[in-house]
Amino acid sequence: MKYIKIKYIATLTLIMVFSCGDDFIDVEPQAASSDTFFNTEEDYQSALVAAYDPLHSTYLNVIMGEIASDNTLCGGESATDVPGWQEIDDMIHTPTNSNLRDLWSWMYGGINRTNFIMEFQNNIEFPNKNSVLAQTRFLRAYYSFELVKWFGDIPYVVDRRFVLGEEFSINRTPKAEVYAQMEEDLIFAADNLTYTAPESGRVTKGAAQALLGKVYLYQDKFAESASVLQDVITNGPYDLVEDYTTMFENDNENNIESVFEVQYSDQEGASFDCLQCSEGNVAVGFNGIRNYTGPVFESGFSFNVPVEEVVSAFEDGDERKDVAILDIDAWAADTGATFAVGYEHTGYYNRKYISRQGDLNTGDANLTNPNNYRAIRFADVLLMAAEALNRGGLGDMQALQYLNRVRNRANLLDVNVSGTNLTNAIYKERRVELVGEGHRFFDLVRTGRASQEIDGFQSGKHEVFPIPLIELQLAGNNWDQNLGY
Amino acid sequence: MITKHLSFLFVLITSFAFCQDVTVKGTVTDEAFLPIPGVNVLVKNTSQGASTDFDGNFEIKNVPVNSVLVFTYLGYKDLEVTVKDGSTLSIVLIEDTESLDEVVVIGYGTQRKKETTGAVSVVSSETIEKLQPTRVEQALQGQVAGVNVSANSGSPGAASTISIRGVSTNGDSRPLILVDGNVIEDLSTINPSDIESVNVLKDATAGIYGVRAANGVILITTKSGRKEMPLTVEYSAYAGFQETTRKIPVLNATEYALLVNEAFVAGGQDPQFSDVTGLGVGTDWQDEVFESAPIFNNSIALKGGKEKSTYAFASSFLSQDGIVGGKKSNFTRFTQRGNYSVDILDNFKFNAQVFYTHTNKRNLSESALGSVLFNALNMDPTKGVRDSNGAFSIAEGLGNEVINPIAQLAGTYDRTKVDKVSGNAGLSYNFLDYFTVQTNIQANYSEVKGKVFRPVANFGSGKVFNIDRSEVVETFNVFRDYTFDAFLKYERVFNDVHDLKVLLGTSIFQTTGIFTGDRGFNIRDNSVENANIDQASNVESINQEIGFDPRFDSRLLSYFTRVQYNYKGKYLFSAVIRRDGSTKFGPENRFGYFPTGSLGWIMSDEDFFNDDGFMNFFKIRASYGILGNDRIADFGFVSLLDGEGTYVFDDAIISGAALGPVANPEIRWEKQRTFDIGVDLKFLDNKFDVTADYFKKTTEDLLVVPQVSGILGVGAPGAGPPVVNGGEVENKGFEFAIGYTNQITDDFRLSVRYNVTTISNEVLSVNTEGGFIPGGSFGVGQDPPSRMEAGFPIGYFRGFKTDGVFQTQAEIDALNANAAAISGDDDAQYQTNAQPGDLRFTDVNNDGVIDEDDKTYLGDPIPDATMGLNLSIDYKNFDFSAYVFASIGNEIVRNYERNQPLTNRSVAFLDRWTGPGTSNTNPRVTTGATQNALFSDFFVEDGSFVRLQNVQIGYSFDEFLENSKLSKLRVYISASNLFTLTKYRGYDPTASTGDPIGGGIDQGFYPSPRTYLLGLNLKF
Repeated sequence: MKYIKIKYIATLTLIMVFSCGDDFIDVEPQAASSDTFFNTEEDYQSALVAAYDPLHSTYLNVIMGEIASDNTLCGGESATDVPGWQEIDDMIHTPTNSNLRDLWSWMYGGINRTNFIMEFQNNIEFPNKNSVLAQTRFLRAYYSFELVKWFGDIPYVVDRRFVLGEEFSINRTPKAEVYAQMEEDLIFAADNLTYTAPESGRVTKGAAQALLGKVYLYQDKFAESASVLQDVITNGPYDLVEDYTTMFENDNENNIESVFEVQYSDQEGASFDCLQCSEGNVAVGFNGIRNYTGPVFESGFSFNVPVEEVVSAFEDGDERKDVAILDIDAWAADTGATFAVGYEHTGYYNRKYISRQGDLNTGDANLTNPNNYRAIRFADVLLMAAEALNRGGLGDMQALQYLNRVRNRANLLDVNVSGTNLTNAIYKERRVELVGEGHRFFDLVRTGRASQEIDGFQSGKHEVFPIPLIELQLAGNNWDQNLGY
Repeated sequence: MITKHLSFLFVLITSFAFCQDVTVKGTVTDEAFLPIPGVNVLVKNTSQGASTDFDGNFEIKNVPVNSVLVFTYLGYKDLEVTVKDGSTLSIVLIEDTESLDEVVVIGYGTQRKKETTGAVSVVSSETIEKLQPTRVEQALQGQVAGVNVSANSGSPGAASTISIRGVSTNGDSRPLILVDGNVIEDLSTINPSDIESVNVLKDATAGIYGVRAANGVILITTKSGRKEMPLTVEYSAYAGFQETTRKIPVLNATEYALLVNEAFVAGGQDPQFSDVTGLGVGTDWQDEVFESAPIFNNSIALKGGKEKSTYAFASSFLSQDGIVGGKKSNFTRFTQRGNYSVDILDNFKFNAQVFYTHTNKRNLSESALGSVLFNALNMDPTKGVRDSNGAFSIAEGLGNEVINPIAQLAGTYDRTKVDKVSGNAGLSYNFLDYFTVQTNIQANYSEVKGKVFRPVANFGSGKVFNIDRSEVVETFNVFRDYTFDAFLKYERVFNDVHDLKVLLGTSIFQTTGIFTGDRGFNIRDNSVENANIDQASNVESINQEIGFDPRFDSRLLSYFTRVQYNYKGKYLFSAVIRRDGSTKFGPENRFGYFPTGSLGWIMSDEDFFNDDGFMNFFKIRASYGILGNDRIADFGFVSLLDGEGTYVFDDAIISGAALGPVANPEIRWEKQRTFDIGVDLKFLDNKFDVTADYFKKTTEDLLVVPQVSGILGVGAPGAGPPVVNGGEVENKGFEFAIGYTNQITDDFRLSVRYNVTTISNEVLSVNTEGGFIPGGSFGVGQDPPSRMEAGFPIGYFRGFKTDGVFQTQAEIDALNANAAAISGDDDAQYQTNAQPGDLRFTDVNNDGVIDEDDKTYLGDPIPDATMGLNLSIDYKNFDFSAYVFASIGNEIVRNYERNQPLTNRSVAFLDRWTGPGTSNTNPRVTTGATQNALFSDFFVEDGSFVRLQNVQIGYSFDEFLENSKLSKLRVYISASNLFTLTKYRGYDPTASTGDPIGGGIDQGFYPSPRTYLLGLNLKF
């Protein structure tokens, strides 16, 4: 009896085991699968948060853009510290610039995240859907605009992700077509968003309009630009911050002048292994004062140091000068602070965006500075509107008024000029108002002044940067390199 | 079948016919005439039999005269005795010292070593006892041909990398390790003295483990009791101390100051030390960091058995401090183990086993830029440990990574506690004479608790290790896995000559885990006493931020069958096929079939072979098969939202759902074709034994993560390139092992064993853009120095070759002129900014200039040959053993020098270039920009070494044992890592992280300590 029983149990066990079907290894991943993800509004909102994330990595565009201009030198520890930035500063472009490659792939990371949402935009309907899509399309335009500014024509798809292997067959889309898509996206965004967002940091109607105005301006579409920018000025809730000295402090973020602001935080750690993963403003630590000990500021890596020429571009009495530029020797003499001299030391630091005390210093503290990047300030909108009006021949009076509004805030007197003189006055004002904010190089390029102002700049070549060689190779040499490289 | 039955009937009839049955009695003893209990006594060709009792006695009734009794007992030679009459027999069993009669574990069963057709190596408990390792892996190094073990660090409890027959993959090359059938990833939880044997499956016969077998399989069996064995208690203990084997000679304070001054002046700057007199030798930072550290171990084991059951119980405690940091790198291990087996019925057996292990490991920064030893080597010797105010001195101006190593140690609070319970239980049921069904379930559960406290610290301005806000991190990870095996065996000998064994089985494996943890800040009083999450502020979960899945669940479903057949025990054949399904692959490629086959011929059993002559045993064997490797990350085949998508709204961090790495639905397992041919020989009265193998393994469809176009979105946080199958690596080589064992006189036994393994590794193809995969790191911000690239060994070092030092400006001018002539550019330079005294790089491609294309092969971390030599002498009551290990032809990259203007340097710089003709090896010192720190063969050194790994002398007392219950009392002294012969200038030529690409780069490796032990073994 016992014998039979045991035999029975043993056989049963065996059968049980062998009947363990192949579905035993069908394990559902904990994370959602991308093809079946979008089922609720929450899913769209969640993917949208992720689409905002690559804005953090635009710190690179800002610091590299500034270094490319005539405002600053690369600096750093030595001539070999971040070689890619040194090359960009010197306008000597080798095919292997890992920093340019980062910019390329980080911005495409943003485009893919926005296109992922757009790919599944028709899955479900929900009340806030237009707002979600409007924010998404703004972000797509933002990332696309960066790529076009840096590289010109770019491989481009809309409302779907790139497919593995597609890089071998897809061509570069002419930048005019990319601009057309940006315009369409931004018009949709402006039409479907309000001037005030439910949360600070979200895209607003004003941000969409301002970026649209900027995109028009980059194409010399002055009438369209002036029109949409004036709409922001007239109907938007923005004004200039009265006290310019408070503008870039961390307790004055998302202020009345901020039309679009990239939001950073010091609450999470970051490392050099994944700079694009940092939730902090990486550029701020890199701009910081080398081996600094003293009040107010914190130590950093001494990159992006302003040159004497931009310091002297400020008129006497310009309140913005001491906000934009830190004269480190004078500061050390006043406060007893100490610092080390880095490579290409000019004696000046980009005071708007250098590390300040008072944040959490979450490790690596150089990479987690919480300083928001004021991407589009109302002052910029006023100056762009003025430029569009002036250069489009649409009304110098209004242009002059906008210009003087910016000047008066800086405690400068009105200017009264018109025509080309006004154009030059606007250019000059843009430089000092926006120094250290990453706009100068692209302003010079789009207005054709780069070769006069930047040492080593060759017209017909340096307007755009080379596509990193490795990216050409990884696409099977499917794309032509930019002219001259 | 019918004939067999008929013959059986015939025997039956004849025995009845003659009716001459007797009762056989007797005693079985060993050669010392001590009784052996539990010996199996069987009347040949019947099921009639008995086993000996406690006093070695047996009795079998009704035994036909002229029948043959077979005495078998594990570890002794089988003996056959013909029954003549009913007289009492005195049987003496002879201990079996011939390893070919050893039983080896081959996966889901055992086999006599003589009959194996695969390349299987065994390490016995005896060897482990002689080496007294703190970790199991240490007992494998040099003992077994083809197995290479390199410690990832000399710190207590540190893991080792085991590679079997070379590095066959760029990914995870660890072998599958099973302890009593239980998958064990972390061998630090095993007490080595619990181990009965370690079996290493090196060739295609590992294919019984299918998709997990490509890196080889290590099967560990733990000790158990024997039936009818009286309770024996073994106690062993050792205590001793450890010290560093070496200090790297660096400049003393005066030398340092002079060199710093020279460098600053050469760089056009002011000298840093206006007066060097009185600086003396300064602080020897290595003396400050290294200490003599204690180690002790206690273990007790009980085992025994009754008529139908066996049991064993063991407990051990180990505590080991580190030679760097002392208690700050302490490792403590407590293990408990029990097993029990019982024959419920004669044909129905049960066994169960439970392990519990607790380990507590304290960690400090090692083998990295800014690790403790790295800092000790680079720290300014003119500074004291503490300044005049008693505070730790500050490493101002030594770069952002070099800090005071003593201050660093003081601020280090990092420990990992592991609690692990493992168990297994099995049933086996034998039926219909030839069938056995067996099921086993093995399970592991472990909790890993980590805690790190980082107090507020200022190591100097701009230092990357400065902490402004004290922080505590507590992690709690739980891992579970289980393996369920069930199989049916059919084992039968037909006609006495056809020995057939068939195995049919299934195995399922599931491993799951969850990672949790919290980080908190602002610890009260900056004190370790208050350092816990409950008392911290701003507490956050740490898994949220990295946007990774805190859970995993991987499974394996397998069916396998094995057929083993031999004819007359001399023509051997074995074949295996296994079907594995792994969750690592997509639905289409989920299942794989892994066939292997092997053959053997014991030539010495042929009639024509005179095994009384020179040669006593000769076996030739060969195997071929396809094995797999599935050790990649989960879910590479599907696009998931496991990226990082974090943004800030209303000043608060919010995480969204972001796309993770690009999916590749096509990925399939790595496939390894492996071939082995070998011989096993014994000669000169079995005193010598030789095993020799040639092997060739080709791994195809390597799982690599190539770079892909940025437009695919791979640059976004948490995204990344896909895993693809693209690459091929070949490993081939010879293994040769020879042993000599001889009982020369009654008092004198000598055993010498030597083994050598040669490995030639070559990457055949890498299907990524550029055709290579980079890895490792050198210096700061330099290109990865290691590569996997077709035509080279995996992970070879690539950089500039040097051709001495530029002696004169004329030499440089001539080269620049040549560069200008070739390129047509008047400003062309041979080598950027080269000046006399700088290293001269070789223009490998002869284009007149030094550039990226001149980087070339500089060596590789894979030894051409490794060998082990074991010597063992027993003389009267003394025993002596010594063990030497050598590794030849591996290179190491010296990467423990920070090369900043104020960091300290090796004494090699005393022989630097200071003017034409002064040195053609060591470049000048300067603070100016040079290319001397670029990765070149200046930093690549020969890492070959010979090391006296262990020496042990023991004495066993026997005089006063007779009147006591003690059966053994032995004391010994042992020294391990006594000396190393090497040209390598770093701490330890074994320095390696073990990474296939990026290994062999020494960043201030925590050296393996030299250990002196005094030990005691008791048995009663």
